[in-house]
Amino acid sequence: MTERDRLAAATRAAGLRLTAADLEALAPAWKRYLALVEELRAALAPEPWND
Amino acid sequence: MARPASLAEAAAALRRRTISPLELVDAYQKRIEQAADLRAFITPPGEQARREARRAQQRLARGEAGALLGVPIAIKDLFATRGLRTTAGSRLLRDWVPSTDAALVGRLRAAGAVIFGKTNLHEFAYGVTNANPWWGVARNPRDLRRSPGGSSGGSAIAVVADLCAAALGSDTGGSIRIPASLCGCVGLKPTYGALPLEGVIPLGWSLDHAGPLTRTIEDAGILFDALSGGRAWKQAQRVALRGLRVGLLHDSIIQPLQPGVSSQVDRAAAALRRYGLRVRDVRLPEMAWTVATQLVTLRAEASAAHARWIRARPRAYGPDVRIRLQLGALVSGADYVVAQRMRAKIVGAVRRLFDDIDILLLPTTPITAPVVGERMVRWRTREEPVDGALVRLTAPFNLTGVPALSVPYGEVSGMPVGLQLVGRWNDEARVLAVGRLIEALASR
Repeated sequence: MTERDRLAAATRAAGLRLTAADLEALAPAWKRYLALVEELRAALAPEPWND
Repeated sequence: MARPASLAEAAAALRRRTISPLELVDAYQKRIEQAADLRAFITPPGEQARREARRAQQRLARGEAGALLGVPIAIKDLFATRGLRTTAGSRLLRDWVPSTDAALVGRLRAAGAVIFGKTNLHEFAYGVTNANPWWGVARNPRDLRRSPGGSSGGSAIAVVADLCAAALGSDTGGSIRIPASLCGCVGLKPTYGALPLEGVIPLGWSLDHAGPLTRTIEDAGILFDALSGGRAWKQAQRVALRGLRVGLLHDSIIQPLQPGVSSQVDRAAAALRRYGLRVRDVRLPEMAWTVATQLVTLRAEASAAHARWIRARPRAYGPDVRIRLQLGALVSGADYVVAQRMRAKIVGAVRRLFDDIDILLLPTTPITAPVVGERMVRWRTREEPVDGALVRLTAPFNLTGVPALSVPYGEVSGMPVGLQLVGRWNDEARVLAVGRLIEALASR
């Protein structure tokens, strides 16, 4: 499954009706978003119970 | 008499009856017609404003008082106005005429203000360039090639171009302070919750603030007190400035910074030191996480506010807002929680910082007004999206909810620079007091 397939699946699950062009336009913002969330997760200290 | 230079002067002239509300309204309306290219208004003031001016005239003749009696205040078109079209800068609401006023519009009317047209904004306040696809690209009155910033761009234009006595705006990531900085006026984002938001079309429930855009600090204080029912401006007169502890923010989030903006901040810090304030460098490393935290929080909250329309009528949004809302629909509950955990850390860090200082000083925006349509800022070592650069130094104070004020201080190549003064929660009085000092020092 490619990154684009995952994005398409996520948008369908969210109830969005997107064309291929819409997906194309959304992909760069989605990629940036995932990177930012990953940075946030990494920056938060792990809790002792799930370290 | 000449048109008054500030809200305070207008209110005084109306009380002395050296100018009438109707004369004032007509003078501003004439200027609005001449300044149509700026696209400051979605719905310019019309006959309704003249009717309100006539009523104010009768009240003044009867000797009635009111802090804003007869003063024309322009309203960002995100606030519901009874009987007056409210579009939120969108196509979706192009014909909506509310049956009730937003709470703050009601307070303005109660203080006697003339509701003076509805100003242009970024669609649904979700962006900071004010390039509105439905109601026109707003222009910076200092240079028509440049952006006024947003999302309260129309309100800032109306204030700077002298099209009203003052204006009301809203601020979710910097939308009052950014256009104030880029156009050259005062913009106050008060403490979160200090002003009610009933009747304001929401963007991000935990980030949204309302506040004044004005030509002077005194005007911002007068208008804030009228809106809040408090006494911050009166208390500001009694703030002892000498010895006040000012933190000058020196952190990675500040960089990169346009060199001319940096010089103005240093010049202001030096002037405050000469005046007897204790200015020292401070750091707030947690600020580095505010951009990501704000983005996740706002994407989720805005998408929740637009949940129905973004699914049913996506083409009714402009392309930039549509993508932001669609992205927000993909934010998971777990991601939102991660952002709120980081937000709590940032709030804690800001709280600790204010144990050691009274006021935080930093630029409002790292750049002066960009050219309309410009998408990237080219720094020496990298590029940064214009909208990201514009919110980089303002969004942290939406996340934390502390009061933040933008004050014009100097220029770079003819374009204004805004300094940002941030205070403790509910300490608008001290923020306004230091703002007034900066304003006085700027004119020396």
